[in-house]
Amino acid sequence: MANDATVVADSAGIQSSPTPASPAVGSGVVIETRNLSKIYRDFWGRKKVHALKSLDIEVRQGEIFGLLGPNGSGKSTTIKLILGLLFPTSGRVLVFDKDATETQKNERIGYLPEESYLYKFLTAEETLDFYGRLFDMSGAERKKRVDELIQLVGLQGARHRQLREYSKGMTRRVGLAQALINNPDLILLDEPTTGLDPIGSREMKDLILSLRDQGKTVLLCSHQLADVQDVCDRVAILHQGELKELGRVSDLLKVQDVTEVHARGLSEDAKIEIAEVIRRHGGTVESIDNPTATMEDLFLNIVRESEARPGARRVSSTGESAAGNTGSSEGA
Amino acid sequence: MFLQPDDFWSFKEWLLRPNAFLESALLQGIVLIVLAIVLGLIVGYIISSARYGPGEGFYAVARATRDLLRFDLPGTSFRRVMALARLAFKEAIRRKVLFVVGLFVVVLLLAGWYLNPESDDPARLYISFVLTATNYLILALALFISAFSLPADIKNRTIYTIVTKPVRATEIVLGRMIGFIGVGTLMLVPMGLASYVFVVRGLRHTHNEVADVKETSGGRLVGETDYVQMHKHTFTIDSDGLGLTDIVRGHRHVVTRDSDGTFTIGPPTGALRARIPSYGEIEFLDRSGNVDEKGIDVGNEQLAGGYGSAGIARFAGIVREARKMQHGYVEGGTLGAAIYTFDQVTPERYPDGFPIDISIRAYRSYKGDIESGLRGSLTMKHPDKPIESNPIAFVVDEYDIDEKVLPVEIEGTDGEQTRMLNAFTDLVNEQGQMQIILKCLDRSQYLGATKSSLYLRPSENTFAWNMFKAYASIWLQMAMVTAFGVMFSTFLSGPVAMVATAACVLLGFSAEQVYDTRHYIDVGISRGGGPIESMVRILRQDAMTTELDVDTIAAKVIKTADAGIVYALDAIATSLPNLPKMVGTAEYAASGIDIFAALLARHAFATAGYCLLAFLVSYFFLKSREIAA
Repeated sequence: MANDATVVADSAGIQSSPTPASPAVGSGVVIETRNLSKIYRDFWGRKKVHALKSLDIEVRQGEIFGLLGPNGSGKSTTIKLILGLLFPTSGRVLVFDKDATETQKNERIGYLPEESYLYKFLTAEETLDFYGRLFDMSGAERKKRVDELIQLVGLQGARHRQLREYSKGMTRRVGLAQALINNPDLILLDEPTTGLDPIGSREMKDLILSLRDQGKTVLLCSHQLADVQDVCDRVAILHQGELKELGRVSDLLKVQDVTEVHARGLSEDAKIEIAEVIRRHGGTVESIDNPTATMEDLFLNIVRESEARPGARRVSSTGESAAGNTGSSEGA
Repeated sequence: MFLQPDDFWSFKEWLLRPNAFLESALLQGIVLIVLAIVLGLIVGYIISSARYGPGEGFYAVARATRDLLRFDLPGTSFRRVMALARLAFKEAIRRKVLFVVGLFVVVLLLAGWYLNPESDDPARLYISFVLTATNYLILALALFISAFSLPADIKNRTIYTIVTKPVRATEIVLGRMIGFIGVGTLMLVPMGLASYVFVVRGLRHTHNEVADVKETSGGRLVGETDYVQMHKHTFTIDSDGLGLTDIVRGHRHVVTRDSDGTFTIGPPTGALRARIPSYGEIEFLDRSGNVDEKGIDVGNEQLAGGYGSAGIARFAGIVREARKMQHGYVEGGTLGAAIYTFDQVTPERYPDGFPIDISIRAYRSYKGDIESGLRGSLTMKHPDKPIESNPIAFVVDEYDIDEKVLPVEIEGTDGEQTRMLNAFTDLVNEQGQMQIILKCLDRSQYLGATKSSLYLRPSENTFAWNMFKAYASIWLQMAMVTAFGVMFSTFLSGPVAMVATAACVLLGFSAEQVYDTRHYIDVGISRGGGPIESMVRILRQDAMTTELDVDTIAAKVIKTADAGIVYALDAIATSLPNLPKMVGTAEYAASGIDIFAALLARHAFATAGYCLLAFLVSYFFLKSREIAA
């Protein structure tokens, strides 16, 4: 099982690190914040929290933009300011070149809140139908759209059940469906993967990517760093209300002086020979190793396999079979 | 039923008050809405300039106004409003508010035990009970569902998914109001039907047997019915076998004698009715026969009340006197009289004589014959010529509506000779008017009358229709309370919004008392003063009419503070809807008088006005509110 190997070499000579497929980023600016600040005050007007300090970001059309930061860093405040749920203390937010407090912008926006704040006494179908009405959609249009979305988020079996009976993950899916009801050009996702199991989380990420491929703009905020890394084209990192870092994910994460080579089917001799070549060129071999998969990949593989072959799965005490399975999919 | 001057106003008179526009409802409404807008702009400006500085504050206010007119009102979509209304409706239904209807039915079932069957007027008792119970229950319910919903949505953030859709503030407010009014309607309909059935079934009874039947002269039969539901009737049957019982407890039965000699007693009639009165103008003659405006005053019953009908003019201090009608009294055995002039006296309206209802008061200056009651007389007279019928004497029934029919053909005098007169040809002038003169026959006793004490009754409506109108009035109150509840809930938390709405309702109910208090302060009548002075008097156990027994400076401070409080209360009470008047329609139904269409139209118009006001206020509050804060 030593066929797969990762070579990590400390050298500037070899440029082979994989770059993610470059998205078709348009030049149009969808969201623009100018010197945006927000101070929360108490009833008497005394300053409580300076939640956001002079934020300047631009989200361009067709990109997935991530807002990153620890709890209380101003992520949610930024999203609420963009949605017009809060009014800026100073500065401006422009969405589609309109002020964020104007309701007309909402025609082209979809929003998935942090928790799905939905009416528990409605069924999934009623919920989506209700939000469809809020977009002034005709009856036939609503019916078509509701069917599509229930299909998309995989709630066919539960469409007539009240949301109070739903699990957290199911509620999340309905929340996502309502955010997409109007086929929006801009989608704001507040912690999109919280409450989802790994499969749901993977599906959510795939969906976000496919939305981007449809030319839509996505703004998401999360503290699940793995998620952000997986899907975002650009990120802004906030800390205590201040912008600390802004840029393309690939640029921010690239370690400039380390080279990574992935290869399959190498013998032990070949590995030694490669190490020799690296040394000859003045590089330092840090490790030549089999790569470890992520827990997510392991989990997804087990589930996929179980769906294909139901029944008890043989669990080896050494865990070898698991490693082998992940390995085989990794090379694809 | 005793009506006040403003009860007689037509819709147009109420709205425009010809010759006294300052007292008109229209002016009051306009002032209220303008004041709300101006105050709203000023308060909005102060708040936003505190937040953003004076220049930006101005723009913020201007932007909200521009948004309303340019985007939000034109952009308001019927489909969105109805979607939100349906949501509010479903929310209330799934919170199982309809249980209240079940509760109401239980209350009705229990009430059957406790409503006194020995009452003199069971119809009034039953009707006023069901209407009052429904009224307060529905108002309380409207208060609860309207005040808590929006704050709950904001608190658990379901509002986030609403306001991030292209939903206007106008639509959120309208949707709530319409949804909750829908819920109220859904509750009111079964309650109304249950009440109607309860009243009709509760009063239905049958007498089965007759007793003591005796034959009198001319083949007439006189007898008594059996004793059912704590009463019995006596009846007379004419020779043709048809007869009527006397009126006991507001109803009578038809009694027929069948060919085989058995008697059939029909169901009760006359208990549930809706008389359509035709009121005349009243003037008095004093004891020497001179025209007198008010009749004799036997007490000070008119001292308080009725200020509310003067609208803005009263608030501004232009109109000061009480507007309550008092009974004018006519002295017996003199030339004193009360003269009613009726319009539209035509044979089409009164084909079989003039049905007349009398409910007058008696004032005794000595005990007299306590058994038989005072005697009065009615005379029909031509308004301009000295032609009049012979007086028709009657015994005054002080506590009931006494129903009589005046004949069309009657003996009388045309000033020269005594002959048979035809009312329509001899007693009615070209304008279709006829006078009826009320006199008291007992010397030194007095009969008291107002405009509403004596009226002709050209036709009747069905009781069911009258109940429907009484419920329509409750519906209007429910709509008004809902609108206020939604308005307060746009800027207050649920419980506070409910208390604020309840305070408005209570202050609306006690508006006349506030007006009275202000009037006493204005004209210097000692009636206990304002709230602080009253409190001092209560603690010191001082009487209401004595001088306030504290030192001069303290008295000055107390009175000044009181005046301030009372004026502020007056301002609030003046701007609130006149709920007692709306609840008062129940009194019409209970008294068996058709609720005037004009009265209902006034209530409907006022309700629409207040809903508009609440809508505007709600819009600005919701618009200027940070939903996520």
